[in-house]
This record gives sequence, C-alpha cells and structure tokens, in this order.
Amino acid sequence: MSYKKIERMTGFMRLNHWVVAISMVVAIVTGLYIGHPYYQSFIADPAVDKYVMAWNRLAHFIVAIIFDVSSIVVAYLYFFSRFEKPYKKLLPTLKNIKEFFDVLINLLTLNRVKKFDSSHTDSFNSIFFFVFHMMLIWMLLTGLQLYVHGLASGISSIGAWWPWILHVATDWTLVATGGTNMDVRLSHHYTMYAIIVWVMFHVYYQVWRTIFWKEGDISIVVGGAKYVKE
Amino acid sequence: MMEKREALAQMFSAKGSRINTNRGEAYYNNLMQTMTLRLQELEKSPAASKVSIEAVLETEGLNRRDFMKWASAACAALMLPSNFTPLIAKAAELMNRVPIIWIELQDCAGNSEAILRSDSPTIDELILETISLEFNETLMAAAGHAAEAHLEEAMHTFKGKYLCVVEGSIPLAMNGLYGTIGAKGETFEEHLLRVAKDSAAVVAVGTCATFGGVPAASPNPTGAVGVQDVVKGKAIINIPACPANPANITGTILHFVLTGQVPELDHLNRPKFAFGYRIHDNCERRAHFDAGEFVEEWGDAGAQNNFCLYKMGCKGPMTFNNCSIVRYNSGTNWPIGAGHGCIGCSEPQFWDKYAQERPMADTHFKAPTGGVEKTVDEFGLGLLTAAGIGIGIHAAASLIAGKKEGDE
Repeated sequence: MSYKKIERMTGFMRLNHWVVAISMVVAIVTGLYIGHPYYQSFIADPAVDKYVMAWNRLAHFIVAIIFDVSSIVVAYLYFFSRFEKPYKKLLPTLKNIKEFFDVLINLLTLNRVKKFDSSHTDSFNSIFFFVFHMMLIWMLLTGLQLYVHGLASGISSIGAWWPWILHVATDWTLVATGGTNMDVRLSHHYTMYAIIVWVMFHVYYQVWRTIFWKEGDISIVVGGAKYVKE
Repeated sequence: MMEKREALAQMFSAKGSRINTNRGEAYYNNLMQTMTLRLQELEKSPAASKVSIEAVLETEGLNRRDFMKWASAACAALMLPSNFTPLIAKAAELMNRVPIIWIELQDCAGNSEAILRSDSPTIDELILETISLEFNETLMAAAGHAAEAHLEEAMHTFKGKYLCVVEGSIPLAMNGLYGTIGAKGETFEEHLLRVAKDSAAVVAVGTCATFGGVPAASPNPTGAVGVQDVVKGKAIINIPACPANPANITGTILHFVLTGQVPELDHLNRPKFAFGYRIHDNCERRAHFDAGEFVEEWGDAGAQNNFCLYKMGCKGPMTFNNCSIVRYNSGTNWPIGAGHGCIGCSEPQFWDKYAQERPMADTHFKAPTGGVEKTVDEFGLGLLTAAGIGIGIHAAASLIAGKKEGDE
C-alpha cells in the first residue's frame, strides 16, 4: 500500500501559523498582567530599573500588531492565494453545506461515518477558522478602542490621522458592548477565553484527525504536507 | 424598533474625545469679536442680582491680582489663547446678568454642598455666589405656594434666556411617584420638563443628573435616569462627577456667558475642556504604574511610598475628567492624591461598573450565564473547564470506539 503526498500549506503559511501561535501566548501572558498585575516588581530596585507594566504593555501591543498584520495577510490569501483559496469553502453552497455536516457527523460518530474527501481543506475547518478570524477582528477593534483612550489629545507620534482613524473605526464598539469603557474592556477579556477554547479544540481536533484518519494531518503545519492512501 | 434604529444611528455617530486646541488665528479673531459683542450687549442689560464679584472678593479678602490670576487659569482651562484673559475677567463680572434656575431632584444635594460648604472658597465658588440664582430649592427661604409662584415668575420673566441647572436623577418607576415636589405634588419628571421647556440650555450637574448615578445603580428600584433621557430637543450639557467640580460648573457657565452657546461636547455631552483628558495620563502616580509598583494592601510599604493604586481598584485608566489637574477643595487634593483610587464617578453606570475597589480584571458583574456575580476570569475558567471536559469525553469515547474497530 502506498501513500500520496499532498501539499497543504506553503512555507509562508506555516511560518504565519507559528508566528500567530507565539503571538497569542505572549498576548495572553501580558494581557492577564495588564488586567491584574499578578507578580510584583522588586521593591528594593530603584525605579529607573523597573518598567514592568510598560514592558508588558509594549509586548502586548507589539504582538497585537504582528497578529493583526498576519491576520490581514491571511485575509488577503483567503481571496487571492495562488495555492488554495479558502473563501471558496466558506460560501454557503449546497456542496459546502453538505460537506460541513459530513465532517461534523464524522467527528460526532467518532470516525464511523466518513463520506467526504479528507485530502483537502474541508468546509467544516474553513468555517471553524472563519470564527477564529472574526474573534481576532473583534480583539483588534476592542483593543484599539482601549488603546485610543491614551491618545485623548488627538495627536500621536505618527500624526493626528492615527487617533482619528481609531475613533472612526472603533468608537462603535463602545455602544455595541453596553456604553461604557468598562464594557469594552470586559468584552476584550471575555473574547480571550473564547479564543483559548477555540485553540484547545483546534489542537485536539488536529491530533484526533491524525490518529483516526491515519493521514498524517499533524505534519501539515510542520512539513507542509499530509499523506493519503492511494 | 425605533429604539434599535436609534441605537444603530448612535453606533456610527459616536464622537471621539479629540480636542483641537489650536484652530488658527482667523478662528480666534472671529471668536474674540463674537464674545466682545456678546459681553457689550450683556453689560447693557440690567443686573439681575445686586451682588457683584468685586464686593464678594473684597469680603473674602482677595484682591484684583488674585482675580486676574484666576481669570488666566480659567482661560487656560477653557483652552483659549491667553489674550482672552481680559474677556474672561469681564465675563465673570457680568455673571450676575445671566439668570439661572437650579432645580434639585433625586440626589443627596452633594453638588450644592461641594460649592457652598468650603471654608476657603476658590474664586470659582465665589463666582457661583454672584450668579443670578433665581430659584434654588436648597437655598431659598420661600416654601410651598410662595416658592411655586416665585418659580413661575422667574420662568416667565426670563423666558428663553435662563440656564436650567439640574441636580439629581429622575425616578420614572411607578409613574414617577418616587419623587414629588411642591404644594401640587408634581413629579420630578413633570417638574424638570416644565422648567427645561423655556430654558436657553439645560446643565446637568453631577453624575445623578447626567447618567442616573447612584440612584440608577442596579437594581435601580426607582427607575432613575439622567436628564438627557427625559429632556429631548434641548441643548444639554453634562457635567458629571460625584460631586461635580465647581471649576467645571463655572467654566461651563462662563462659556455660556461669553458665547451664548454651549461649549464643545464629547459623545456623552460632556464639555471637552473638562472631560477631554484621561485621569491616568495626568496622574502623579503614573510613573509607578509604568514601573509596576503597586499598592498591594492598604497601609503597606507601597502605600507609604505613594505607589500606583491600580491593584486597589483605581479606574483612572478608564475615566475621563480633569480632577488630576484641577483637583478639589481649592486645589488642595483629590482622591488619588489622598491615597484612594479613582472610582470612575464621571462615567456612565459608574457605581455598577467602576466603583468596585478591585483591579479591572476582577470586576464583578452579571455573567452571560446569569446567576450570581462573577469576574471575567471565573467565568472564563468555567468555560475552559467545560471545553476541557467536552474534549476529554470525546477523546475517551474515540479511544474506546477506535479499539472496538480494531477488534473487529
């Protein structure tokens, strides 16, 4: 019995995946500190050596920017990738809806019923990732709303257009979450947990697929390919 | 349906708090002309009150120099160029020509108290003594029918010219019967609507009048709301905080005297000159925040060293107000200076969402699943546990099912 190698992720896509994964871990570690500083700086140190909250906030913003930029790249690839165009699996066509439920049934019946082509990205996984990208956009908007509070003067180191565009793009999140700055913050914090739940399921599902489909799915994100029986 | 549409319209029209402090020479020349004309007209009109600021200052032992120092500070507070200082001084002298009707609704009268009870009043507070206060339930001697008649007379005489200052929230539950006033048993809502109708503008003073404040805190038994939820189709200026800072009340009234218009407002109808900046960004303890030096417990070494109060529940990073600059009680001090964190008293729903004495991440609130109040982390850990259990069940079931398949 021989196996066919199927390329699933390009080198850039894999790099992007791991950049996002590391950014997320850093964002969670620093974000929890910003919400409730859970370790102390050394009181005996002179203040000039300490910049603990500021470093945490800097790291949080930097990984947020990396995260956002890579998400924008992914959004672009959704439509214009020459490798695989994921938006085609997101469109609510009959074929995609059928595939979505076929994959879901396979998961719920513990791999007893497998009536779909598992060699390429399926609709179920595409929609699952779409939910992730929506949550990331929400984190971006609420995060920038919290950030623009500090630019109350209306000016910034890169010009007045920046706070202006932040207000235009994110002020509606204030109204959407309940009307106060605190509601935006709570929503930002909540969504973090939703993303962690997403990650837990994502990792579990990849491992589960690898074990039960026996097609080496886990190596997609490392080597870029999976192997299907010929 | 209408409400939803309004909410949608509001969603895309929320204004930021951006303040333009330099609008160019042409703008300021124009403004100066408008203000000069307005003041000349005001000067010709008869003084409604005989109290003059000169007399009040003299009684308090303050001289012209103190007054001019105040005028230049007020000029800066209103974000005007320094050559407007003489106009500010003039406007303060003409304050007794602007009639004001001050009504008191569901509150503790704390805003009146903050202005009246100081033992060394600032010039801001003294100026509020010289305004032509036509009606004020807390201060006036008249009562019952006499007070009613007085209010009617003032509203009639100064129709369309007076400022309606409101202190306190408006209870709407039980048809407003939680608060009635006067010999006729008028509800607060009717009282407010009647007085606001013929006013030039409505000034809501204090957090109760602006957003409902403490009376509107959960579960809000009286159905308390702020002025802007009741009065429609009028210029409304919100001056929140608990109590509102006299400097901001004076600043707003000064602006009205100078221009006959309301000052530039933010998305919550608060004057930008007072609520345009975040407390956190002008806080004297900010450096300790950045350094990660926090008070961990009341009276600890950090507290003795004036460390940041963030972990004791300070809400400065989410609160827009100028108390870190203007301070209270003749500029003596302010809450964070005195060693207690900000409770966000100038923000909507502050009692439920800000004044919790806990770090931001530990704020207790009603979780989406209902039940008792939780923190986001408690709810989130619950969510993670549920997800973990779900995954565990699926994994175990898969293993067992997988084995069966292998046996076959």
